[in-house]
Amino acid sequence: MDRNLFHVTPRGWAGLGLAAFCFAVLPAVVGSYWLSILTSAACFTMAASGVAFMYARLGMVSLTQVGLMGIGGWVALRLNYAFAFPFEVNLVLAALATMICGWVLALPALRMRGLYLALVTLMAAGGLEIIFSTFQFPNGGSGFWGVKIGSADPFRGPALAPGPAAYLRYVVVMVTLGFLFIEGHRRLFPGRAWALIRRSEAAAMAAGVNVTLYKTWAFGIAGLLAGASGTLLAGSLGLLDDGTFRSPESIMIFALSVVGGAQYWLGAVVAAVLYRVLPGLLNQWGVNADLAFVIFGAGLLHAVITAPDGIAGQIWGGIGRLMSRRKGGAE
Amino acid sequence: MKFKTSLMAVIALGVMAIAGQASAGPSCGMNTGQAATGKPIVIGGIYGNGAPGDWSSSTDSAAAYFACVNANGGINGRPIEYHVENDEWNPEAAARAAAKLVNDDKAVALVGNGSFIEMAVNAKTYADAGIMSMASACAISECFESSNIVSTNQGPLPSNLGAAQYAQEELGAKNVACIGLNIPDNGIWSCQAVIDFMTKRGGTGSMAMLNPGAPDVNSALLEAVSSGADTILMNLPAGLALAVLKAAQEQDLRDAYNWIAPTPLYDLSVPAAIGDYWNGKVYVNAELAPISVNGPDAQNWIAVLDAFGKPDDPRDTFGQAGYLSAEFFVKAALAMNPEDLDDRAKVTEAIKGIVGYRSDLMCGPYYVGDADFHMPNHAGYMVQIIDGGFKIVRDCYEFDSDYFNRHIELEKKLGLR
Repeated sequence: MDRNLFHVTPRGWAGLGLAAFCFAVLPAVVGSYWLSILTSAACFTMAASGVAFMYARLGMVSLTQVGLMGIGGWVALRLNYAFAFPFEVNLVLAALATMICGWVLALPALRMRGLYLALVTLMAAGGLEIIFSTFQFPNGGSGFWGVKIGSADPFRGPALAPGPAAYLRYVVVMVTLGFLFIEGHRRLFPGRAWALIRRSEAAAMAAGVNVTLYKTWAFGIAGLLAGASGTLLAGSLGLLDDGTFRSPESIMIFALSVVGGAQYWLGAVVAAVLYRVLPGLLNQWGVNADLAFVIFGAGLLHAVITAPDGIAGQIWGGIGRLMSRRKGGAE
Repeated sequence: MKFKTSLMAVIALGVMAIAGQASAGPSCGMNTGQAATGKPIVIGGIYGNGAPGDWSSSTDSAAAYFACVNANGGINGRPIEYHVENDEWNPEAAARAAAKLVNDDKAVALVGNGSFIEMAVNAKTYADAGIMSMASACAISECFESSNIVSTNQGPLPSNLGAAQYAQEELGAKNVACIGLNIPDNGIWSCQAVIDFMTKRGGTGSMAMLNPGAPDVNSALLEAVSSGADTILMNLPAGLALAVLKAAQEQDLRDAYNWIAPTPLYDLSVPAAIGDYWNGKVYVNAELAPISVNGPDAQNWIAVLDAFGKPDDPRDTFGQAGYLSAEFFVKAALAMNPEDLDDRAKVTEAIKGIVGYRSDLMCGPYYVGDADFHMPNHAGYMVQIIDGGFKIVRDCYEFDSDYFNRHIELEKKLGLR
């Protein structure tokens, strides 16, 4: 086993500290409105972590992440109504099913890079959007699609998280596990292979790296995380609506991951905060939440022009400079 | 001399009464003419405004009525603080809105809700929190099949049935194509009821569904036309129904079909919007009394909007329904001990205890009762869009469907039949 696998870096400690804060403090101090927003933001953090991971590790642009979330949510709802499995079993099965979908999506996309890969994934998102809007999400009906006419049957949430505060804690734990899953991969042999592929596919192949396998692997991880986040979103609402998973949302989550900083775990958190918390804040201030789109645009311009590492990169850079100044002062 | 003086006094009083009536403002709650200054009673309201439509006229009218009540003594001196949230046709926003109103703002009731989404997401929240939602513009099945939601409007299922029943009985409809939104608890639910109704009466029916996020009305219209229908039912919000009519006009389909619609097309702006081409050709089921009925509540609703609403607040069925929900809530609240108005359980109990409230806006009595389903309003009018307005072509009538059997049973139990 790699001896560095369990080494916790300062940034890692910061992440664990933030997770502990979100687990212990936030649910106890915020009202129901913010519990709802933060739960949604936590779900999208997990989805953003997947798309950011693909971009940061392999330079692959996936514009179908929110569509994959929809697949995860669809599978979780279908399982919920078809069987009496606990929520956690549905969560794992939905994540695995979405991972397989990620692989399937990866196969035709593997030969492409850059803009073409982005376009293929965007088309996949468009296709998923049409499927969701045509067939809708399961609501307790029979047959493959599980849609019945009229009111939805009750949804079984996790027994461990009966209320909104407990559910936020539950989602925070799952998101933390998601980040650890990515970090574990980064530190093991897939991480080394991805690093090599990102530098040069030809060099990676020459070094004996199975490029197809590792690219597919990355798509699978992004799918797994998207599927889990879609399930968690379904668990928070008890139902899903096709409007949540439209293709522009996939573009938005990718763009915000770049604004947040795809290299860092904090970038995914920033992306989800911008995506869900900022509109909630504007709404509470009585300002039209659509103003958030203007801010997103400005943020993206800022990231492209002056901050290629995103907001998270700037934050870590600022902290690093502060620490070295302090060190210098102490010496 | 004495007789003359008395006569003059009577005439003077009569003139004053007439003058007073002519200048009378709206009538609201306690009608004291004094603004309420006590501790506010928090009431919530949720509407949906986003693609594909604005569903806020019910909360607009409820807000105007509450403002009028507050200016007239409130609820025994306590003003109503009406908190309104937009669900943006989005489940997450709907859940947030309910969480804020129910848990953070501590609303004791929700009044005037109008949405395609929020009732499905929040029905359980309301039941768990023991809060009643006196909704007004319900469009989905959960609204009518939940313990803690009751609406003054009928929703698409009865209104569609009313329109189809009229078309079958008066226009000779044998095959109805229902164009609706592809939402299982809205368009599919209510269009299927029409197909079942037509089949029961020896006819047939079909549905053409639109994607709510990207509605392609022309495709849906072509699908309806290709079904072989003789009648097209536009089971859609007003904006989309107008788009269907526009598409049909471009293809000059007016005379090939009967054109019917549920209540969303009963909006005073619609006759002008559809133009002369459709004069006398479109029939609409009105869930509440058309404005031409002009009863006391109908007049008061307009007076309330004129005095306390915004100039652009819609004068449509859902506005009437919002006004009615607010009026019924105030009536129930005024009958309560003022000290109990902060106690959600007692407010819920008072709302569930409503039986037999009447209004000229509704064909039947309004009631709530303690049940897992609520649909007090299931009779309506049929109107024709003609000469730039609406003409009543069928007065209050009940709709023929087994769906209403349990409601009729409940009404019998409550002594309303």
